[in-house]
Amino acid sequence: MDLFIKFLSNTGFALADPRHVVMLCVGILFIYLSIAKKYEPLLLLPIGFGIIVGNIPFFKGFGLGIYENNSVLHYLYFGVTSGLYPSIVFLGLGAMTDFSSLLARPKLMLLGAAAQLGIFVTLLGALALGFLPAEASSIAIIGGADGPTSIFLTAKLAPHLIGPVAIAAYSYMALIPIIQPPIMKLFTSRQERLIKMPEPRVPCRKERLIFPVVGTLLCCFLAPASIPLLGPFFFGNIMKESAVVERLANTARTTIIDTATIFLGFTVGASTQGDVFLTPQSVMIFCLGAVAFSFATASGVLFAKFMNLFLKEKINPLLGAAGVSAVPGSAREVHLMGLKEDPTNYLLMPAMACNSSGVIGSAIAAGVLWSLNM
Amino acid sequence: MYGIEAINAVNGWAMAAVGALIVFSGLVMLSFIISQLHKFVPLLEKIGKKAAKPEASPPTETLPVEKCPTDLKVQATLFEPLIEKLGSNFPLAELYSQAKEQNIPHPHLSLSAFRQAGILVPLGDGIFTWDKEQLTTVCKKG
Repeated sequence: MDLFIKFLSNTGFALADPRHVVMLCVGILFIYLSIAKKYEPLLLLPIGFGIIVGNIPFFKGFGLGIYENNSVLHYLYFGVTSGLYPSIVFLGLGAMTDFSSLLARPKLMLLGAAAQLGIFVTLLGALALGFLPAEASSIAIIGGADGPTSIFLTAKLAPHLIGPVAIAAYSYMALIPIIQPPIMKLFTSRQERLIKMPEPRVPCRKERLIFPVVGTLLCCFLAPASIPLLGPFFFGNIMKESAVVERLANTARTTIIDTATIFLGFTVGASTQGDVFLTPQSVMIFCLGAVAFSFATASGVLFAKFMNLFLKEKINPLLGAAGVSAVPGSAREVHLMGLKEDPTNYLLMPAMACNSSGVIGSAIAAGVLWSLNM
Repeated sequence: MYGIEAINAVNGWAMAAVGALIVFSGLVMLSFIISQLHKFVPLLEKIGKKAAKPEASPPTETLPVEKCPTDLKVQATLFEPLIEKLGSNFPLAELYSQAKEQNIPHPHLSLSAFRQAGILVPLGDGIFTWDKEQLTTVCKKG
């Protein structure tokens, strides 16, 4: 009987804490959103299931939890804390990205730059709320709307915040269809939303081959701390564009990125153990993340309007919202909003140009923030 | 410490301004470079064409030989220009592939004959040398 009672006392039912229950509900919500609502299922499903796995109460000291040395989850989590998974994701992302649209319209790159202002405004907000500079930088990068970049920087600067920062970044990426449209509407008139983008020229192969080399050299010389992200990113891209290592490029954009995404999502989810995750600090991070994301969207849109003051050939200010690096969610949202106003206005390709510029911009921002905190 | 005081304490304003400036200037520079790429590419192509021209010009060494020569001396006249190009010591495989490129008929047979006659002398590791004196001797005998 004693043995049975001892066993019962070691089960999850006996060890459960209200915080675990809350997190289990969050996990179930994520799974629901990913399956029923199809909100970023590639991210929310692994994270949601990870949250469930990470919040099953267990007897500490058995080497089961993600924060316990020698546990399987701890080893898998190493890819997050070391910044390995984000680099691998960037490799695959590069092998998927087509820069043709950006090469044809280089001025759209400025929108990707403008959207990064959200990061630096949030940095000030986080500092004002009493976060340390390294923590504030990790929170601010949520404004870049790039999950792997946020995880990478947080792993380097404030590893204790990886859980809340990653969950906030991915949640806001999943909530793009809810967050971005009102902001886009608020700052643009119907007339502006109706602006059509002209058909771009088709860049030649040599341009597409030179770009990753020039991009790596310029960005990494400017912010060497962004090498772990932009190095693999542009390497993936040159593999794709060269067409001489099609097999490798194909592996990078399928198997490799998929594997990294699975482990990244699952372990980040599992890292949100209720007792570690549910703190007032996490609530503040979520609020600041929302500010960062909204500000990034608004600054992109407003900068597009500012550019229109000087441009003969006006650009649709909705494209500014795609300057955040949530690929391809924000580009898709811009495209859908353009179509809503005029069913013949296709903004997907120019929006993708802003999106890919946003990826580069947020990776540079991460490198700069890392350098400033060294 | 909270508010503006906290921002000032860690030099937050400068951090934000410098960060934003670096990101912005980086992307502006990249944008400028890619806007000039399409002008730069034709220039590259021109240079490439100029460099390619001299390579295409020397068709002098092509030897349109119809039949397989049986005389070692005749065979040697076909191989000597190639050997001159390769230098005094050369890999046999390289000589063979160049002979094939120049459409010299049955290069393996010719090379085998040169080796048997002691004209192609092995130096080890696949490297050979061309013995001109031996060739003269063989030709005189033959």
